[in-house]
Formats: sequence, C-alpha cells, structure tokens
Amino acid sequence: MRRLIAPLSVRQKLLAVVLVTTLTALLVAIAVMVGFDLRTYRQSLISDMTTQADLLGRTTAPALTFDDPRVAQENLELLHYRPQIRAAAIYNARGKIFASYSGTDGREFPKLPEADGTRIEGNELVLFKRIVDSREILGTVYLRADYELYDRLVGYLGIAAIVAAIAMLVAYVLSRQLQHIVTSPLLAIAGVAREVTEKRTFSLRAPKLSKDEIGMLAESFNTMLAEIERATRDLQASNEVLGREIAEHNRAEQEILRLNTELEQRVKERTAQLEYTNGELEAFCYSVSHDLRAPLRAIDGFSQALLEDFPKDVPEEARRYLSRIRSSTQRMGQLIEDLLNLSRVSRGGLERRDADISELARQVVTELQTREPQRKVDISVWDGMRANADSRLLRAALENLIGNAWKFSSKTDQPRIEIGSLSDDGRAVFYVRDNGAGFDMAYANKLFGAFQRLHSGNEYQGTGIGLATVQRIVHRHGGRIWADAKPGKGAAFYFTLESDGVEKAGRDMAEAQA
Amino acid sequence: MSQKMIMIVEDNPDDEELTLRALRQGKIANEIVVTRDGNEALEFVFGRGQYAGRNLERMPAVILLDLKLPKLSGLEVLKQLRSDPRTKLIPVVVLTSSSEDEDMLRSYQVGANSYVRKPVEFGSFANAVSQLGMYWLLLNETPPRA
Repeated sequence: MRRLIAPLSVRQKLLAVVLVTTLTALLVAIAVMVGFDLRTYRQSLISDMTTQADLLGRTTAPALTFDDPRVAQENLELLHYRPQIRAAAIYNARGKIFASYSGTDGREFPKLPEADGTRIEGNELVLFKRIVDSREILGTVYLRADYELYDRLVGYLGIAAIVAAIAMLVAYVLSRQLQHIVTSPLLAIAGVAREVTEKRTFSLRAPKLSKDEIGMLAESFNTMLAEIERATRDLQASNEVLGREIAEHNRAEQEILRLNTELEQRVKERTAQLEYTNGELEAFCYSVSHDLRAPLRAIDGFSQALLEDFPKDVPEEARRYLSRIRSSTQRMGQLIEDLLNLSRVSRGGLERRDADISELARQVVTELQTREPQRKVDISVWDGMRANADSRLLRAALENLIGNAWKFSSKTDQPRIEIGSLSDDGRAVFYVRDNGAGFDMAYANKLFGAFQRLHSGNEYQGTGIGLATVQRIVHRHGGRIWADAKPGKGAAFYFTLESDGVEKAGRDMAEAQA
Repeated sequence: MSQKMIMIVEDNPDDEELTLRALRQGKIANEIVVTRDGNEALEFVFGRGQYAGRNLERMPAVILLDLKLPKLSGLEVLKQLRSDPRTKLIPVVVLTSSSEDEDMLRSYQVGANSYVRKPVEFGSFANAVSQLGMYWLLLNETPPRA
C-alpha cells in the first residue's frame, strides 16, 4: 500500500487517503446496517409466521374437534393471499395430514409433524406449531415460507454499490475542492524551494498561507533561507574582501616588479655614469701626472739655471728666494706623486694571492737603509707573516707605514722599529711599531684623512697622504686599521686584511666613542 | 765616420730647453735634432713633408721620445718606427712625466729600449738625461746598417 502511494504527489496522496477512508467508512456502515436489517427481517418473519400459525391453529381448532377437514381446507386456501407462504398443512392429533395447502410448487409435506420450532432450510423457513385447546393437543400446523435473505442481500449490495459510488464521487469532488487548503501552502513552499535550488536566489520567501504546522514549516523554511542568505552574503563579502586583497597583493607585486625594473635601470644608468666618471678620473690622473709636472720641472730647472748662469748677478736674498721656490716645486712634485699613488690604490683590480708580508717588509726596510745608510735603526721583522692579499698594494702600504716609522724615529736616541703580528680571535693583526715622536691620541681621528698632518713641515717632511693611502689599501682588502700612540713615546699602527663582520665593527665603534 | 746624432721628440718648449741644457752640461756636443710632435718626428726620420729630400743615410743614433705628443702620440710614433725596416733598430728611449705602470708596460711592448721618468727636480733630471746621452752615444754600439 505504502509502496503504491509513495511515488504519488501530495495532492494525489491526499485524494487517495480521503477516498480510501470514505470507502472504508461507507463499507463498515453498510455492513452494519445490512446485518442489522437481515436480523430484523428474520425475527419479524419468524414472528409473523408464528402469529400466522397461531391464527391458523385457532381457526382450525373447531374443525379438528369436529373432524371437518373441509373447513380446515378452506381456511388453508385463504393463504393464497399471502404468496410468501409456499405451503401449509394441518396435522391431526395422531399426526396425520388433516388438510394441506400448496402454493406454486408441488413438493411433498413431511410425513409426521415435528415439535414446536422454526428452522431455516436453504431459502425457506419451516415452522411447526402445536394446536392446543384447553390443555389438549388437537393437532399441529406446518408452514413453509420464502426466506428471501439472499435476494435482500443482493439488493442491499446493489444499493450499497450505488451509494458508495455516489459517496465516493461526492468525496472526490469535495476533496478536490478542499485539498487546496492543505496542499497549496505546501506546494507554495515546494515551489519556492525548487526555485531557490535552481536559481540560487536566497532572497525568495515562502508565503505563509496558514497558521498550522505548514505555516510553521513555511516560517522555519523562511528562517533557514534568511540564515542561508545571510551566510551567503557574508561568504560573498569575505570572498570580495579576499578578492580585493588578492588584487591588492597582485598590484603590490606588479609595483615591486616595476620598481625593481626601474631600480635596475637606475643602477645601469648610475653604473654607466660611474664608469664615465671613473674614465674621466683616470684621464684626469694621467693629465696630472704629465701636465702638472712639466711646469714644475720648468720652474725648478730655470731657477737653477738662473743660479748657474748668473752666479754673480743674483744677490744673496734672491738666492734664498730661489731656493724656497725650488723646495716648493719639489714639495709640489711629491704631492702630485702621492696623490697619484692614492688614486692608483683605488683603481685597478685587487689580486689576492698568498703574500709574504715578512719578505715585503724586509724589502722596504732594505730600500730605506740604502737611501739613508748613515742612519742606525734597530729594525726587527717577524718571520713567517703571510696573508691572502694583493702584494703590490700591500707593499705600498708597508712602504708608507715603515717609512713613517723610519721618519718619525729620526730624532730619537736608539730608534727601534718592529714589524710583527698578533692574533685576535684567530684573525691575524699586523702591526708596525716605533719608539719615535708619536702623537696625541686626541687627534687619532684625523690620522687617516688625506692632507691631514699631525706634525709641522719643519719637524718632519710629508704630504699627509701616506696614511690615507694605507687606509684605502686596508679597506680594499676589507680590513681595518687603527693606531695607538703617545707623544714622545712612539706609535703603533695595527691593521687586518680580512673583513671581520658587523659585530666586531659595532664593538669598535663603541670603543671609539668611549 | 760622422758624428752620431740625437733626436729629441718633445712638444713642451720648457722641457726641450731643459733637456738641451742637461745634455750640454753632460758635455755631449753631438748634433741634436728637435721635432715638436709625432708627425714631425716621422717626417724627419722618413724624409717626408718639410724634411723631404733629407739625406736618409743619416739616422739618429738615439731617439728621446716623449709619450704625450700632439697629433700622433709617442706610442704611435714608436709603433711606426718599429714597423719600418729602416728604423726598426734605432734605439728609442721613452722620456716622460708619466709614472703610470700602464704606460711603461705598453712602451716596452711596442719596442722601447728604455723607459725613463722625467723627475721634477732639475738636478735629477739633468743627471738622468746626461747619463742617457752618455750611454746611448758613447757606450752603446749601434747596430750595423742593414
């Protein structure tokens, strides 16, 4: 049953329910009515026949008493007014048929009367009734009547069928009309649900057409839709935010790319500019080395020529002036030389190789001793000092440092110069130390600037470019240079030839500030 | 055998005069030819231009060549001298103010016999020049003529 109903629509289900219910109710009602009616019919038939038999007995009693079968027969013949009674008979007290009546059929009568009672035989009712008069049994009445139960039943069923058909028709029409009350709110909800599913428009709402469970269903459904709509809106909002963020991110990336390209372009431009400037600088240096020297040479040369060619015409004062001119030109020449050296150590490649510092230092020392053989200086150079460095630049640095030590110890008794190395955190620190003039550490920050001098030209010769050159060489190797000195007690210059990281540099800055 | 000749290629009149003076002080009395740019130097040596018709039998015993010259640079001059069989073997002393290693290297590469820096101080300069004259004129044997 359920399986039959399940695939039907709600409308059809409702209709089916109504019709089945109506039919069942109708059938039960009809069955009860028919049963009741048949029972009544049987009782009334029995009672009717009993009365009839009674009546026959009373009218036939005198005939029996007087043994007059004709009267009895007449009485019986009257029964033809009741076609319902098929046959009747009167038995006398001895049980013999006294009179008989037979309707349409010619069936035989029972041979002997039976005791009082009724019984159903097929579609016939059989009745025996004693005829009693003042305590004496006179005879027995026999009646056989139509018992039309089957016909009645068939008639009733026909009526029931017609009634049921009409009732069902009415029920069908009524329920068709009335079911809208139930189904239309449901169908409305279903329609909205279908539309929501198909079009995903969560703003739709189911109409609330009733205040019953379906109304509640519509409300719940609407609440759910509102919830989904809100959630969807939130989701869309967050999607939009996400989309915007992604777009923003992409834009930022594009921007970075663009900036990078721009930066690269700028770097290229700057590099080109720098290369150009470098070229200019080299051309300038070349000119300096050539063109600035020539006039100096002329000044010096012709000053000397003046002295040599006119020995008598040049007064003593003029000679002194000429000698000042010549020493100035020489100083100028030296300045140009030093400047060229300074620029030379900045240009060109850095060719790091295993350099023998001890050997380089000894070469420099030998040169100094050859230049000024009259000076007696106690010089010690440690053995086995090596570094991964550009030996040409390193030699230039040592020439300056050892040359300074040589120069500033010229006025010291028992001058001493030491070239050695220490180890600081496993890193080699080289030093050049002398016991010469030294300097005040208050001016230490000026030591390495070009043209900075801590001694006057009268005391010691110099251009003030040497230490700037040394510092540049050390920096090109990624190293550091610093000094320690006291006026009159000598000076020591320390340097490293490899980079020592940020941490160390920070510590040095702290030391310098202290 | 005629006296050996010195040729000086120098555009700076001061340097020219100082060089001559130094040679004089070094008691060098040989004939001295002065040309003032690279082109003139080549014209003299090969007997072209203003020196057309010059007796090419007479070649300088030594050439003192400045590097920085108008028109043709000293290195150009040296290259051309070395590429001609007539001048290939003439001793050339590069005499310059430049102390660039690069210049020295290139001079030797194209065939300079000597490279001498002109010092600012005249005493040293005069010394250097007279010693050069002495060496190339008196001590050095000029290659036999081809």
